[in-house]
Amino acid sequence: MTPPSPAPGALGATSLRGRLSRLFALQTMVGLGGVCAVVYVVIALTLAHRQDELLAHKRVAVERLLNEGGAVHDLASIRHLLSDFMAGHDELSLAVRQPGRAPVFERNMGRHTAPLHKGVSFPVTLSAAVGGPGWVELGYDTSNDKQLLSRLFWTLLSTALVGTLAVSASGFVLVKKGLAPLNALARQTATLDARHLDQRLDLAGQSEEIQPLLVQFNALLDRLQVAYQHMEAFNADVAHELNNPLSILIGSCDVALRRPRSAAELHEVLSSNLEELRRIAVIVADMLFLSNAERGASARRAPPASMARLVAEVVDYHDAVLAESQLTVRVLGDAQAAVDTGLVRRAVSNLLGNAARYALQGSRVEVRIGRADPRHVSIGVHNRGPVIAAAHLPRLFDRFYRIDPSRTNADRNHGLGLAIVAAIAKMHGGTASARSSQSGTLVQFTLQMWESSPDGGFGASDTAAAEPTGR
Amino acid sequence: MKLLVVEDEAKAAAYLRKGLTEEGYQVEVAHNGVDGLHMASVHDYDLIVLDWMLPGIDGLALLAALRQTRAVPVLMLTARGQIDDRVRGLQGGADDYLVKPFAFSELVARIQVLLRRASGARTVAETTQFKVADLEVDTVRRKATRAGQRLDLSPKEFSLLALLLRRQGHVLSRTEIAEQVWDMNFDSETNVVEVAIRRLRAKLDQPFERPLLHTVRGMGYVLEDRAP
Repeated sequence: MTPPSPAPGALGATSLRGRLSRLFALQTMVGLGGVCAVVYVVIALTLAHRQDELLAHKRVAVERLLNEGGAVHDLASIRHLLSDFMAGHDELSLAVRQPGRAPVFERNMGRHTAPLHKGVSFPVTLSAAVGGPGWVELGYDTSNDKQLLSRLFWTLLSTALVGTLAVSASGFVLVKKGLAPLNALARQTATLDARHLDQRLDLAGQSEEIQPLLVQFNALLDRLQVAYQHMEAFNADVAHELNNPLSILIGSCDVALRRPRSAAELHEVLSSNLEELRRIAVIVADMLFLSNAERGASARRAPPASMARLVAEVVDYHDAVLAESQLTVRVLGDAQAAVDTGLVRRAVSNLLGNAARYALQGSRVEVRIGRADPRHVSIGVHNRGPVIAAAHLPRLFDRFYRIDPSRTNADRNHGLGLAIVAAIAKMHGGTASARSSQSGTLVQFTLQMWESSPDGGFGASDTAAAEPTGR
Repeated sequence: MKLLVVEDEAKAAAYLRKGLTEEGYQVEVAHNGVDGLHMASVHDYDLIVLDWMLPGIDGLALLAALRQTRAVPVLMLTARGQIDDRVRGLQGGADDYLVKPFAFSELVARIQVLLRRASGARTVAETTQFKVADLEVDTVRRKATRAGQRLDLSPKEFSLLALLLRRQGHVLSRTEIAEQVWDMNFDSETNVVEVAIRRLRAKLDQPFERPLLHTVRGMGYVLEDRAP
């Protein structure tokens, strides 16, 4: 019964789980990456700052040492002082030079290569005994800091990557878990079919985001159930309606062929059969009409015309029947509307036919034309006659619905007349309705005057202007 | 008069051939669109009855191809529910259409109209005076007498009588009468036409010995002088 469901991911569908996981991963990567980058930059700046501070500090110390002590000390004691100063500072390099002489002091100078080296040089005044003014080259070896930064870089990078992977994986699992009710839903939906029309989707355990969808889906199922049941009932009715004339046809042919018959007898049988066949043809034609209307066929509108005039033509058509029952007809009101005249005539004819069938002999039938609302005209036929119970009223427009199940006049009245009226109203964007009381029965339908009614385009006058068509 | 019937259903083709032959036409039948187009192109027909649904080439395509070379009148037979198709058929070059199922008498009437139109007989003045047995009707002066007595008919009753007289001897279906007299082109659930006929009969036949207006069961009504 159920068509094979498309494979997941087919039809260009994207996996919600995959998409969410990818988005999680991307988000984590951006977040962690950002934090790590900031940490790295801040630490690198701090280190550089500390190196500068250290160099400045050491410069002050060397200056003080040489300027203050240089005046009193000789070369040996200066070297000794500087050696003491440098003790334990492998990261520093120091050279004290004088123009045109051998260096006064040199330590760690060879170890420091340019790219990992940061240095300052400044002038100093040495004692005359040592040789007067000179300059100092003070350097700092940054390789340790560089190493630290590099380690930090790799640590942060791997942390970011591993973190991303971990969050993605857990996100994947969590999303899968979160979407699990959807799978259950799919399984539930798969069990729905025409044999279990009353079955609905279970809302329990579904998240509040999904629930509105389910409520709508269940409402859709309700509507489909009603439509399906209508259709089934309709099919049964059709079969029943056609079954009667068919059994008559088969039976009469059967009987006719059992014995030799005269031409006159056979003629009689054929004529009778032709009547039945015509009946079938009318039922089939009406059902095709209804099914076309049901499938959304719309009316072919003619230019705006007077509805009273159109009604008068139909009244004229029914003249003989109305006269037989001594019924008089009055057409009240008028309105201009662009309608499919053939269809509206048919609808009015069906209503008049009904009214003529049920009206009290000698009473008056009224055709009331008016504006139902700014966009719709209404045409109603009112007759005095037996009151229709309220329970029947809404079903009057159902196909094959008869108030009297004994099917009087079934040969003429096959129970599609009012359904056709409703269909014609629907094709014109209108509706059909009925009400009944002691004062009479009114069956009416509305017609949209035009697909988009221009303002003040059509007027309706409520004056009893119609031609006196009854007698 | 030579007709071509293009119809794929064997039973339908058979009854069309039989009925139309009995009406005095020379009838040839093609059972599919390809044969139909070929026959219509090669031979000269006075009229073609063309089914819409055909195997091979459908009616509309056949018509389009045929219209390239031939101006022969074409009567299209369509299934109900193809409402829009009717219009397309007429635009596509059909001269008239008939919706299935149809009364055979209506088919004959349509064929006659098309043939008359094609032969240019349209200009011939319509008969306005009729005489059947002792019934005399003048449609211009709107006067009807029987056995010298004036018949008091309502305007629609007179139109109904005039229609029956114009088509004397031919059976008219209820649908056709409703369409011709009242311009109501739908199958009605009501017995309007029956009652109208009954009332006409009350004035036309009842006072007199010999009935002229006859009911043909299952088909409709005919006005003719049936010899006793």
